[in-house]
Parts: sequence; C-alpha cells; structure tokens
Amino acid sequence: MAVIEADALTKTFPLRGRRQACPVEAVRGISFSVERGERIAYIGPNGAGKSTSIKMLTGILHPSGGTATVLDLVPWRSRRALAARIGTLFGQRSQLWFELPPRRGFRLLGAIYGLPDDVARRRVDELGALLDAADLFDVPVRNLSLGQRMRCELAATLLHSPQVLFLDEPTIGLDLLAKQRFRDLVVRVNADQGATIFMTSHDVADIEQVARRVIVINHGVLIYDDEVSAMRRTLLATKLIEVAFERPPGQVCLAGVQVTESSTTGMKLVVDTTMRSIRDVLDTLLDRYPVADISVVDPPLEQVISAIYAAPRA
Amino acid sequence: MTARWVAVAVSTAVQRVSGDRGGMLVTLGFYVAVVGTLAALWAAAAEASGGSVAGYDAAALAWYIVASEAATVALNVRMIEGIGDDIGSGAIAVELLRPAPVLGLRMATEVGRALPRLAVCVAGGAVLGVATVGPPPSAAGALLAVPALVLAIACNIAAQHAFAGLAFWIRDATSAWYLYQKLVFIAGGMLIPVEVFPAALQAVVKALPFIAMSYVPARLLSGAVEPQLLVLQAFWLVVLCALAVAVFSAGQRRLQVVGG
Repeated sequence: MAVIEADALTKTFPLRGRRQACPVEAVRGISFSVERGERIAYIGPNGAGKSTSIKMLTGILHPSGGTATVLDLVPWRSRRALAARIGTLFGQRSQLWFELPPRRGFRLLGAIYGLPDDVARRRVDELGALLDAADLFDVPVRNLSLGQRMRCELAATLLHSPQVLFLDEPTIGLDLLAKQRFRDLVVRVNADQGATIFMTSHDVADIEQVARRVIVINHGVLIYDDEVSAMRRTLLATKLIEVAFERPPGQVCLAGVQVTESSTTGMKLVVDTTMRSIRDVLDTLLDRYPVADISVVDPPLEQVISAIYAAPRA
Repeated sequence: MTARWVAVAVSTAVQRVSGDRGGMLVTLGFYVAVVGTLAALWAAAAEASGGSVAGYDAAALAWYIVASEAATVALNVRMIEGIGDDIGSGAIAVELLRPAPVLGLRMATEVGRALPRLAVCVAGGAVLGVATVGPPPSAAGALLAVPALVLAIACNIAAQHAFAGLAFWIRDATSAWYLYQKLVFIAGGMLIPVEVFPAALQAVVKALPFIAMSYVPARLLSGAVEPQLLVLQAFWLVVLCALAVAVFSAGQRRLQVVGG
C-alpha cells in the first residue's frame, strides 16, 4: 500500500527582483510511489530540488503543477492533519529548546500533538529505551553533544508515533560514531515501529546503511529509482579488479582495462564492461600472468553517485 | 486541546526564562536604572513646574514610570528581528510542520517569556517606588494595573508579530523594529505621559493602539481609577491579534506559493 505518491509534481519559483527574469524550475514533473515500511534515500546534488520536493510532500509548499498524496492526504490542503501523522527531522534545525531538558520540550510537543499526559509520559519512556537516550532527557539541551542532541531530536520526531518519517540530512555534522549510531537507530525505528523512512543525505554511508531504495533527482528531474544494491551494477559499466602476483608480472596491457595502481606484487585495474567482459579479463589475467590472488569488486557507491550527478542536464 | 498546548507553551516559556537567573538579574538591573533615572527627571520637572506636570505629581509620575517601563522591559528585546530572521532563514517553515498554528504557538511562548520578567520588574519597581515616594496613590488603581500590565504585554506581543510579519515580503525587518520601537516609546506613553502632549496630538495618540501597551497600566498605577481602560486594552488586543493573524496567514500563503 502506497503511503507517498507523487504524480508529475512540479514547482516553479518566480525569480524575485529582476525584470523579465525566467522563473526557476526547482522540480520538474517528478513521479514516484513509496510503499508502507520502505526506507528511501532521496538524493541529489545541491540545488537538485530535494528540499523543495520534501516541502511539497509535507505541505509547506504548494506545487505549481502535478499532485501528491501522503497517507492519502494532499499535503498542501491538509497540512495540519498530515503533520499529526508524519515526523520531520531537519539536521540543521532543532525542535527542542536549548535552555530546557528535552523532557520539558517533549511535554510541549505532546500537548501540541494532542497526546494525553500519561500517554506522552509512557511514550517518552519507550523512546528512551528504544533510542538508549533516557539518561539524556533530563539534561539541558545546551549541555548535550551534537550526537546526543540528535538522539533527542529523533525522540521528539517520534513522540506522536508518526507513520512516515521525513529526515533531511539528519547526520550532518555528526562524528563517525554518532553517525553510525544514528543510522542504526533509524533502521531500528523502521523495524520496530514500522515507520516509512524518507531521507535526504549527502553522506553515502547513510544511503548504504539505512536505505533499501534510492531515488535520485538532478536539475529537478527524477533520474534514477531502484534498489541501492542495484545501483552500482546498473549505473556504472565498470568493475574493479585487485590482483596479487607471485612475482613481478612485467607490463600488463589489456584492451578495455585501465591500470590505476601498480607495484611489483599487485595491481588495481578498472574494467570497462562495455568493451570487454569481466570473464574475458579474468581468463586473460590467469592465463598470462603469475596470479597469486584475484578479486572483483563493484566501484564505490560514491563514484556511482558522482557519475550520476555529473551527467549532463536533460 | 488548543487551551492545553497554549497553557503548556506558556508554562514551558516561563520555566525557560525563570531558569536564566543571570538574564533576570540583568533585566532587573537595567529596569531599576531606567526607572530610577526617569523618575528623578520627572520629579525635577514636576518641581520646576510648581509641583505637577499635566496633573501628575512627583509620586504619580514615579509610579507611572514603574508601570510603563515594566510593560516594555519585560518583553523579549529582539522579538521583531527574531521573527524576521526566522522568516528570512526559512526556520518558520519547519514550524508549519506541527499541528498547531505557528502564530498562536509563538505568541503563547512570548507571553510566557515575558511573565517572569514582568513579575521581577514589578517587584523591583514596587520596592523602589515605596522606598522613594511611598505607596501607589490609589490601591484600586494599583489593583487594576496588574491585569492591565498583562494585557499590555499581550497587546505589544500581538502588534510585534503583526509588524514582524512584514518579513514575509521584505528581506530585513530591522527597519520595522526601529519604527515600532519609537512608536511605543512616544505614542505608547512609555517615556512621557500622554497628557503632556498638545491636545491635538493627544487625540491622535489616544486613538492608536500603542497606548494599550504602556500608557494604560501606567495611568492606572499612577492613581487613576479608570476600569474602562481595561476594556480599551481588550478591544485593542482583539484587533491586534486579528491583524497579526491576517498578516501571518497572508505571509504563509505567500511562503507556500513562492517559497522561503
């Protein structure tokens, strides 16, 4: 069952303060559908239209064309009704009050979301256990590290048991350990609470470790929508081969193969699979050279994404 | 449901400000210095004018300043700029993602922030006033001044939100803040009792909402027993809230159509 559906969603901004200026087409006819419980990475370079899309899907912005539904509501027509059923977390904006402990902020958020006091208290206890953050809830927010604060922000986002979570660059600024912990928590929330995750991020590890499916937009246009695992093999016609030699192999020269690193004991090769099959390259290497060990890997996801972003505008 | 989140927003804000003891002390120190200085100036003016100015004697003028300054100093100094910054930076868009009206939540929060400061200023002003000029001229007037002070800050907060809403259309709300501040200082009777103005100017000033923000509680605490002034404040509160709602609604519609 689809919880998010976008159909030819379009947003055009007038360019302010300039005569005869062309309007900016931030989002150009994007269509996709998200099923309940999915974990989506919604990615694209800066200015691609991600935030504009999220603002339309949460009802902050009215589209210039097309339509969308989230939990069967048209966001910009039922913004407040939708707000009660979704959770939003913006990595660069806090919804807590710096001078107060998170528990006080949760009380206000609980009142805003219409949760009875006893229900809100129980929910805060549950979230404290789920996010391993109960000991942080009574510390003033200004005394928390960024990683601790983001766990509390996630608790604030989850307080009213939202069915869909919109996370906009949630790990920005966190250190490696805090990022890893945050990703684990998001996956756990998805598994335990069944919340659908719709996340933007520029961090490839967020995409690899949280999302199952990735939607890529660039220049306001949807350019890719598939499983994360399929992304590498579908989008880059290259494979990486790492070879260890028993003795120096001499010069390695194969059509369709580029040597990227070389030493007397090993090499790293990039194979253009449109020119030459990976099997052919492996056979040739094993036949002609003193191979001690060999492995084939997909290129890093970062490289795949960079290639997508660098693609010329449609 | 609405009453509950308003009450929790106010109490949360009260707790935020009350916890900042340093900030409260600075507010009190500033307030006492301003009240002491202005009361001394008005006392000298009254003495030079034969004992009173526009019907206010030195004691009445001192209590006038105690209330007029309390109603102003209690407020968040950078409210208009803060709202303008939040509109300009897009932070306000995030507040749209809650199932409660942005304006209502912000105004309830500002009222909650002002109440502890108002209590501290009134207490400090009362001690200063009693110590220097004796008790307020009228106990009934002093009693009426208490709700008038709360209505004054509510009117001021509503008006500041209406002014600050200009930031939905203009890039920098600082100019709006300067204009607004001067209007409250002068037309609100914060520095000078309205009765000191020439008759024609008095008529104009009394027809404006700014008198609800400072002059009314000051007039009551200076000894006037005029309960109808509370009705006037209530009237302006309704008008200013309606204006703020209209500005924010139009601003939000603009935000939703043309972006932040």
